[in-house]
Amino acid sequence: MTTEQPIHSNLAKILVRSQAYLALLILLLLAGLDFFFPTNYRLQAGLHGMSAIASVVAGTYLTHRAYALIRGVHINFKSLRYWVLASTILNLLGAVSGNWIYMRYRGEGGPKDWILANAPAFHNYMMEFKEFVTLFPFPLMAAVTFILYYYGDAIHTRRDLTQFVGIIILVSWMFLLLGFVTGLVLAKLRFV
Amino acid sequence: MNQPTHNNPQKPSTDATQAATPLYSGPIIAATLSPLLGFYTLMISHHVSRVTKDLDKLVHSFGHWIPGSTGTGPDGSIGSYSGKETLALGIWLLTWAIFHVLWQKQDLPVNRWIPLFLGAIGFVTLCLFHPFIDPILLLLLSQG
Repeated sequence: MTTEQPIHSNLAKILVRSQAYLALLILLLLAGLDFFFPTNYRLQAGLHGMSAIASVVAGTYLTHRAYALIRGVHINFKSLRYWVLASTILNLLGAVSGNWIYMRYRGEGGPKDWILANAPAFHNYMMEFKEFVTLFPFPLMAAVTFILYYYGDAIHTRRDLTQFVGIIILVSWMFLLLGFVTGLVLAKLRFV
Repeated sequence: MNQPTHNNPQKPSTDATQAATPLYSGPIIAATLSPLLGFYTLMISHHVSRVTKDLDKLVHSFGHWIPGSTGTGPDGSIGSYSGKETLALGIWLLTWAIFHVLWQKQDLPVNRWIPLFLGAIGFVTLCLFHPFIDPILLLLLSQG
């Protein structure tokens, strides 16, 4: 019994990790293939799309960790600090690449012109909303990263602080998802 | 059987230090109030820029340092969005630094701050949604 147990748990671990890496790889293709699209702005599109997907994936994983913070169960704060830092960097990359692709969006003959001529509500209501709320996750996760590094492991002694950190992670995720879905809708409507 | 023993002389002293040093909540309030002020700056500067072309130019002027903030043609530019981002970034970082210094040794009520934080972030999000905010803005402008 002691020999079978590790084999089984090892198999599960291998499968779980393979599934996660394969899912991430395939999901990244959703925007990664933009690099091969017939447009002069493929680099901006691919970079923004991939950083957006990676941000949503990291943010979604972090919501799983957020519930542990909210419930007050044992947390590996060292690993959590690395994850929130990585998430913050991805969110920044998403915002910077978003600025870069937004130039073409507003450019002559770009998606904005087409959308205003054909489906103006998608620009006036959706894009004018999306361009601002997608800036929210970076400062929120920067705050979380700062808090976790500033207080260190000692933060576990204050339930109110750990609960608040968990809530900020959830709020940040909500804006990531809003930005991701609206971005995808706009790209489907008129690509750069 | 025998558990490995880690002789780490640092550990007890670290625990003792943690126990002796109280954790102040001031820095967490500073770190979360400041991005909110940045979001409100973003929202207010956005609506200000929509009132007249001159106000749009004024907001835009803060963002000229950002590459791609000006320009025409197919490559486009981000226009006055650059100014809104700059103002928000400035307010966020400046207020964070100020509040952090002011509150680093203060214990502020986190449980009372959480609903305020959530309400404020919900409200600024609504104020960025034009179908909600435009009728209110039009009413305010018509009275002003």
